[in-house]
Amino acid sequence: MSYFLNLVFAGLAVGALYGLLAMGYAIIFKVSRVVNFAQGEIMMLIAYMAYSVALRTDGSALLVVLAVLVSSVAVGFLIERFVVRPMLGQPVFSLVMMTIALAILIRSVAALIWGNYPYRFPGAETVQPFVIAGVYIQPLQMVLLAVYGAICVAVWAFLRFNIVGIAMRATASDATVSMLMGVSVTRLYRTAWVVSALIAGIAGILFANINHIGPDMAHIGIRAFPATILGGLDSVIGSAVAGLIIGVVESLTGGYVAATYKEIAGFVVILFVLMIRPYGLFGQRNIERV
Amino acid sequence: MAELSVINAQIFYDRTVEAIRDVSLTVAPGEIVCLLGANGAGKSTLLKAISGIMGPERGLLTKGSLNFGGVSLAGMASEQIVRAGISQVPEGRRLFVDLTVEENILMGGFTLPAAERGQRLAEIYQIFPDLVPHRTRVAGYLSGGQQQMVAIGRALMARPKLLMLDEPSLGLAPKIVATIFETIAVLRKAEGLSILLVEQNARIALEVSDKGYVLERGRVVFDGDARTLLDSPEIQEFYLGMDRSDDRKSFRDLKHYRRRKRWLS
Ligand SMILES: Nc1ncnc2c1ncn2[C@@H]1O[C@H](COP(=O)(O)OP(=O)(O)OP(=O)(O)O)[C@@H](O)[C@H]1O
Ligand SMILES: [Mg+2]
Repeated sequence: MSYFLNLVFAGLAVGALYGLLAMGYAIIFKVSRVVNFAQGEIMMLIAYMAYSVALRTDGSALLVVLAVLVSSVAVGFLIERFVVRPMLGQPVFSLVMMTIALAILIRSVAALIWGNYPYRFPGAETVQPFVIAGVYIQPLQMVLLAVYGAICVAVWAFLRFNIVGIAMRATASDATVSMLMGVSVTRLYRTAWVVSALIAGIAGILFANINHIGPDMAHIGIRAFPATILGGLDSVIGSAVAGLIIGVVESLTGGYVAATYKEIAGFVVILFVLMIRPYGLFGQRNIERV
Repeated sequence: MAELSVINAQIFYDRTVEAIRDVSLTVAPGEIVCLLGANGAGKSTLLKAISGIMGPERGLLTKGSLNFGGVSLAGMASEQIVRAGISQVPEGRRLFVDLTVEENILMGGFTLPAAERGQRLAEIYQIFPDLVPHRTRVAGYLSGGQQQMVAIGRALMARPKLLMLDEPSLGLAPKIVATIFETIAVLRKAEGLSILLVEQNARIALEVSDKGYVLERGRVVFDGDARTLLDSPEIQEFYLGMDRSDDRKSFRDLKHYRRRKRWLS
């Protein structure tokens, strides 16, 4: 039993990361129908930037948090300005290809600057995990889950009550009419990229502190992708929840079947779910009326 | 108060399809002007150009000018045009179907300062009290008539000076159409609006209008004050269907859309 519970908890902790990244995919997809394949790389890049700050400041927590915020906003902003905006008016597919190119670019540049080996994040404490009901829990994992919960609530409230959040949903539903309401779609894209970079950055810094910082962080983006599909691609909260599901499925597969199947478990899940619900678990089914 | 003037406009899609050719029209402050014409005449194209949303469809104003209150709309982004005081109720209502009624209406006030939005929302509910019980419902599940009210309320949120309506009668029962047109007439007075009304339902449109223009294949073929148009033999024959003789001439062009839209009120 405690083996099972340990697997579930480990799954939730990884799943929260997937969920955060998946939210980033969904936010961008929602407003622009673009799948940003550089999501994992953006997370890695921001974590590396914060790492450089941590190295020079002896891991001051405050400055690291500040570095994450500043670099996320900067990265989101720059990508929107120099990758997304020049592609406006081009087929969506071209922009998706651009994000793949961007992913490769970020990976190479990061390898040039920070090298190919993982490091321990400076200031990351090696505290003893505590045990509840036989489950080994690292304090930072609890922080991750709390941050995950807080971001879910914040994003949900933003999309529900803030006029810009409502405009994002409106644009997902009909972009031209959204323009007719006075929404600047360009500005909305920028918001989406910045918010999704910010969430990725937060996920990245937490991952780096719990595990390590290294080039393999970029792969988490692809591992999180099934969560977005499962959640329904344009459902932000759905993607977040689906992240947990994928995390737990992966962890249980790794624990009971074989560690080698872990990585494909998420993709097997979406294969089955999509057969039954092609629009994902929480995706918007088109309303057909009048 | 601002006047809309379209001068010798020519509009192309994809640089190849000419949808509007040499069209001039004006909507003076407080006036209701209707724009009539069959399918494909170019009515919606003109409204889209005025609202600055030709971009997504690769349309372009190639000649002439669009002015509002003496300012050219040609180089303006759609959001600036909304801020300048022009709102549109698009053809087929185009609600954000998965948003609630209230969210739809709020979206119309996107350009308003946040502090004014709540108050304006209350005013919209006063104009359309029937919407109040439905405010938290998903807009896509409302009836056609209710959806049209949401669409009009949404456009009014921005406190426009000029309201453009693209075929508000489309797909609605005659009784509901009558209510909508009454509302339009009331709104002009209550809100001090100018209205540019696109319709295929010629009689009911001319009855509320001061002036009318008839568009055929992208050109203005008739214009004049509403009374004159209602009485003119050509309009009676082609647009009001009063001539029952077998000689249907250009009515043949119109046949295909009688399946989709009602022609007579
Ligand atoms: N996106 C587009 N690309 C190319 N041509 C278009 C486009 N939209 C409309 N057209 C063409 O422009 C002309 C005018 O179309 P428009 O939609 O303005 O007509 P309309 O008067 O509004 O007709 P309806 O009564 O059917 O709404 C038509 O010949 C149409 O085929
Ligand atoms: Mg039309």
